[in-house]
Amino acid sequence: MKWSLLSDHTVHLHFWDDECVAYNKRSGDTHLLGPMATQIVLKLQQSPSDALTLAESIKLLPTDETNDELPLQIEHMLADLDQLSLISFS
Amino acid sequence: MNVSSLTPSELASRLRNAGIRLQTGSFITHLQTAIPSVAEGIGLLYSDYPLAEQGDFADFHVDLIPPRNLRRWFKPQVLFLSDGSPPFKPLPLDQAFPMFEWGLNWCVSSHANNYLIIHSAVVEKNGYAAILPAPPGSGKSTLCAALVNRGWRLLSDELTLVRVSDGKIIPLPRPVSLKNQSIDIIQRYEPGAIFSRKVSDTMKGTVAHMKPPSDSIFRAAETAQIAWIIFPKYQAGSAARLEPLPQSRAFMRVADNAFNYSLLGTEGFETMVRLIDASLCYDFTYSVLDEAIETFAALKPPTSPT
Repeated sequence: MKWSLLSDHTVHLHFWDDECVAYNKRSGDTHLLGPMATQIVLKLQQSPSDALTLAESIKLLPTDETNDELPLQIEHMLADLDQLSLISFS
Repeated sequence: MNVSSLTPSELASRLRNAGIRLQTGSFITHLQTAIPSVAEGIGLLYSDYPLAEQGDFADFHVDLIPPRNLRRWFKPQVLFLSDGSPPFKPLPLDQAFPMFEWGLNWCVSSHANNYLIIHSAVVEKNGYAAILPAPPGSGKSTLCAALVNRGWRLLSDELTLVRVSDGKIIPLPRPVSLKNQSIDIIQRYEPGAIFSRKVSDTMKGTVAHMKPPSDSIFRAAETAQIAWIIFPKYQAGSAARLEPLPQSRAFMRVADNAFNYSLLGTEGFETMVRLIDASLCYDFTYSVLDEAIETFAALKPPTSPT
C-alpha cells in the first residue's frame, strides 16, 4: 500500500521556490503547501511512496533539529494531505 | 460623442427619458434616472466618457428611482435597479450618485465572468501594470488617486479585470472613490483634481469621487501587461518600505481578494497562476504620498518570466 497523488485532472499544482499552491477541482478549494508538504508532493509526483521511504528522501529544513521525528511528521502530513483530498492511499 | 457634448439640461432630459448609453472601458451601461444629483455627478465626472448610440447593445440596464413608498415625501430614498430588479436595499436620496458608482461595481463584479475580477486598484506606466489589492482602510484608493495624479494611468481604482484568455489587464477607468480624510488629503495633494460633492453618513462614512485624468479615459481600450502585485498599507509615521513577498503567499492573498476566483474553477486557478508568474510581489508600507510615488517610480519590471 502506497500513497499517491491524485491525477492531474483532479489536482492542479504550481510550485514557487520551496512552496506550492494546490487546486482541487473536485472540492474547488485551493491550498498553500509549506516546504515539507511541497517536498512530499514532489516525491509523490515522481512515484507512489510510503512514509518511511519518503522520510529517507526528504531533506530536513534548517529549523529541524533532528531526524528522529521525521517519519512521524511525514505520517501526519500525509494524513493532512489525504484529508484535503490531494493524495490517496492504495 | 462624449457626455460633454450635451448641455446639463440636455443630459438631465436624456437621463429622464430614453436614458444614456455610457461607455466605461469595455462596458456600456444604459442609465435612466430623473434624480438631479446623478445627472450632476455624470455631467461632472463622466464628461470625457463616450456615449454609445441609443439603439446599441448595453451590458447593463440601470435605473435609479425613488422607491414607491411613503418615503417619497418623508426622508426620501433612492433605489438602484439592474435589469429592473433591486439588488440592494434603498439608500437616502442624498446618496444617489455614490449608489450609482457602487451599483455599477456590483454589475461588473457579478456578471463579467470572462475576466478574473480582483478587488483592487490597478495603475499602469510604460505598458506595465501594478495591481494594489488591499482591504478597506489600507490606503489603496488614496495611493491610487495620488499615483494617477503623478503620471500613472488609471486602469481601475476598485476592480482589476484579468482577461482569462490571455492574462492581459483590461482597463475600467471610472471615478476614484475616496472616503473621510482621504478626500482632503488628495484635494490638497492635487488641487486641480475634480471631485463630486461630499456625501456624508454613508455606510463608508463621508465619500466623494474624483474624476480620472482624461488620458486614462481616452486610452481605455489599451490593455496592459501585469508586472507588479503590491499590497499597500498606510501606517502613520512609517517610511516607505517595499518588502518582497513569496509568490505562493501572494497567490493566496490575491485569490482572497478575487470576486469570482472560485466561480471560474480551473480557469480561475490557471489565470491566477499566470498572473502571479508574471509578477513581482511586494508588501508596501507608507505614510507620505511623495515617498510612495518615488518608490513606485523606481519599480523595475520583471526582466523575464519569473
